Amino acid sequence: MTETEVPPPISPAEEAGPNPLLEGLELRRRPEPCALVIYGASGDLTRRKLIPALYALELRRLLPERFAVLGVARSAGNDEVFRERMKDAVRRHARDPFQTDAWERLAAGIRYVSTDVGSGDGAARVHDVLEELDWHRGTGGNRVHYLAVPPSALSALAAEIGRRRDQKTGFVRLIVEKPFGHDRASARALNAELERYFAESEIFRIDHYLGKETVQNLLALRFANGIFEPIWSRQFVDHVQITVAETIGIEGRASFYEQEGAIRDIFQNHLLQLLALTAMEPPIDFTAEAVRNEKVKVLRALQTPGSKSVVRGQYGRGFVEGEEVSAYREEDGVAAGSETETYVAAKLMIESWRWADTPFYVRVGKRLPRRETTIAIQFTRPPHPPFEEMAIEGLRPNVLLVHVQPDEGVSLAIGAKVPGQGMTLRTVHMDFLYGGAFRTGLPEAYERLVLDCMLGDATLFTRADEVDEQWALVDAIVASWERERIAFPNYAAGTWGPPSADDLLRADGRSWRRH
Amino acid sequence: MVAFAEIEHELGRLRAQQEGEEPVVRASTMTHVAWVPERWLPAARATLAGLGERHPSRTILLLPEPDAENGIDTELSVQHFGLAGLERQICTEVIELRLRGSRMHAPASVVLPLVRGDLPVFLRWRGRPPFGEPELAQLVEVCDRLVVDSGEWERVADGYAELERYLERIAVSDIAWARTLPWRRALAERWPRIAGISRLEVRGPEPEGRLLAGWLRSRLGIELELEVDPAAAVEAVAVDGEDVRPEEDDRTPSLLLSEQLEVFGRDAVYEAALHAAR
Repeated sequence: MTETEVPPPISPAEEAGPNPLLEGLELRRRPEPCALVIYGASGDLTRRKLIPALYALELRRLLPERFAVLGVARSAGNDEVFRERMKDAVRRHARDPFQTDAWERLAAGIRYVSTDVGSGDGAARVHDVLEELDWHRGTGGNRVHYLAVPPSALSALAAEIGRRRDQKTGFVRLIVEKPFGHDRASARALNAELERYFAESEIFRIDHYLGKETVQNLLALRFANGIFEPIWSRQFVDHVQITVAETIGIEGRASFYEQEGAIRDIFQNHLLQLLALTAMEPPIDFTAEAVRNEKVKVLRALQTPGSKSVVRGQYGRGFVEGEEVSAYREEDGVAAGSETETYVAAKLMIESWRWADTPFYVRVGKRLPRRETTIAIQFTRPPHPPFEEMAIEGLRPNVLLVHVQPDEGVSLAIGAKVPGQGMTLRTVHMDFLYGGAFRTGLPEAYERLVLDCMLGDATLFTRADEVDEQWALVDAIVASWERERIAFPNYAAGTWGPPSADDLLRADGRSWRRH
Repeated sequence: MVAFAEIEHELGRLRAQQEGEEPVVRASTMTHVAWVPERWLPAARATLAGLGERHPSRTILLLPEPDAENGIDTELSVQHFGLAGLERQICTEVIELRLRGSRMHAPASVVLPLVRGDLPVFLRWRGRPPFGEPELAQLVEVCDRLVVDSGEWERVADGYAELERYLERIAVSDIAWARTLPWRRALAERWPRIAGISRLEVRGPEPEGRLLAGWLRSRLGIELELEVDPAAAVEAVAVDGEDVRPEEDDRTPSLLLSEQLEVFGRDAVYEAALHAAR
């Protein structure tokens, strides 16, 4: 402290010490007063996810009492029009039935500014409205800026927010949507730009998969159950399969998808995060830094796969759920000779004591037969089953299957005797369905993540070094693709990807999990 | 009517009967034992109706009929709830046992064969528990948590003294305490101004008033005068003449019980409040 600095005054509450009445009352985490500013507020994300998530939080009284939402977008509109649109969004997309009183509590703090923040007086107008909200809604100068804008607008917008932050006394946090960069170099440049104005603890890179209950349950499953962790290693696990399968195509996002492809859209973020959570060592506690330290160790330990360990594909025409669908190259906005991949499979190896020689087979794809995100831990076979060969024909290895979506839950495939004479064994499933055991309704990922950000808890957000490692791997894979052309399309919509994806496992004497 | 020995078999048959095209998942998170004297039966059934879906469980309803001829009558039902977006249902099981005559005096022997192994057992006692009587003592021995509602009692102060003697034997929840939660939150927000208060006025039931006063005394370490103006539910609270305004509380009786079934350990804050509530 310099000579001129004066220590802040002690408030009566500080003088009185900690509040003894709070013990046992911390049943709900409630953030400090704040204003949530959504840039890109006229977009789909705001309508389908963010506002319904805020409504769900308000319904459960998890939002601060003094709270406001400021929508910012270029589209014309005013407070009334925006509120009406958001009311309609809640009616359509919220997981709870519409309740007028809850909506009115939320709507009372909703404002809208139609402007381009990057030009003219746009930023000043946003700033003025926020000051007004501080005055009228008591938001105390605390800001959460949700940057739901195209990647090209991100850097300039963050800089604009950063330049104005000095005038504020409250906290400032940024939520940044994926994609975070297009490659390692652009991600580093973006990080550098953000770090000019914000500390790492103020930057919340959102990967909505991490907000899903089942992803968090993976940590509970591993670290709260003594039976799993001792066998969660190369000694007992034969291999791991992670699948992120979608039935949908690109849904009108050709300009985005042509640039990104499956590897940047899903593989670089969701899939590698699932892998890191599956493979990481137990953190010393459940704080943001401890969990993210362990994840980044896994990402650093990933070997760069050779070209024979990665398969890419692009869908042709086919049938999905009984309906004939177009080839990728026939989608609106896609180049007739597009080389963009809609499918990636890879065999990834982790150079660590725990996982040496244990492959992680991963795949992501569009227009696959079924929508599912699963993590399958396949255990080694028993060394010497004392049964006749015919008796165990129907027996498969034990698999612990984590259903991330849909049908959230966990199932364990075990061998059991078929009732009757003789000794015939079959594989049966023991299922734990989230919806079956806990009937409270699973919160949407965005509810959890927006609330966590307001509370300043970054555990379920991606740190800069994680993003960096993820891009390092993806850049290496993409570089090898540039040397090698593939005849696309190479799988029909509605199938499980190109035949070469099966070969990837067949070469190791394994196969993709049966669905 | 089902013979006692046939209960498990019959439940299996009922579950199988329901397994039409949609497989039924038998998920369980606990065994819920409820001791329900006749006068409390309608309220217990109403609460149960809203509970099964939230807590897939086996519920054992014990209906004592002290004046009836000795025997046990059994009725079984399996309730099904669809799982949103899934072609599956879950089922919960309700075993209703009328304990007639002397059979009501050995309830643990009736419950023990029926509890789901390795899962917690909650005992909801309707009305004022017969402190010191063998029925309560036996069930306390085989259950993990006792849930009462002191709002259903007469002679509350005596009851609290009796209940306190059980705290070393079983974790206890009081739904009347749960109902005070919004008021406790509102009072906690008055820190540090509230530290030196001397008078608490409650317009509401005596149990809630006593528990709030006990909580403030035990947490703040103060002497506190309590004045209760009886009403069916807590309508107003004032500290040193200043009104306290809580958030709206829309929890139903089912939800209040449901919350207690999610608590496992002992609640030290409640126990201290109970001690200071007399």
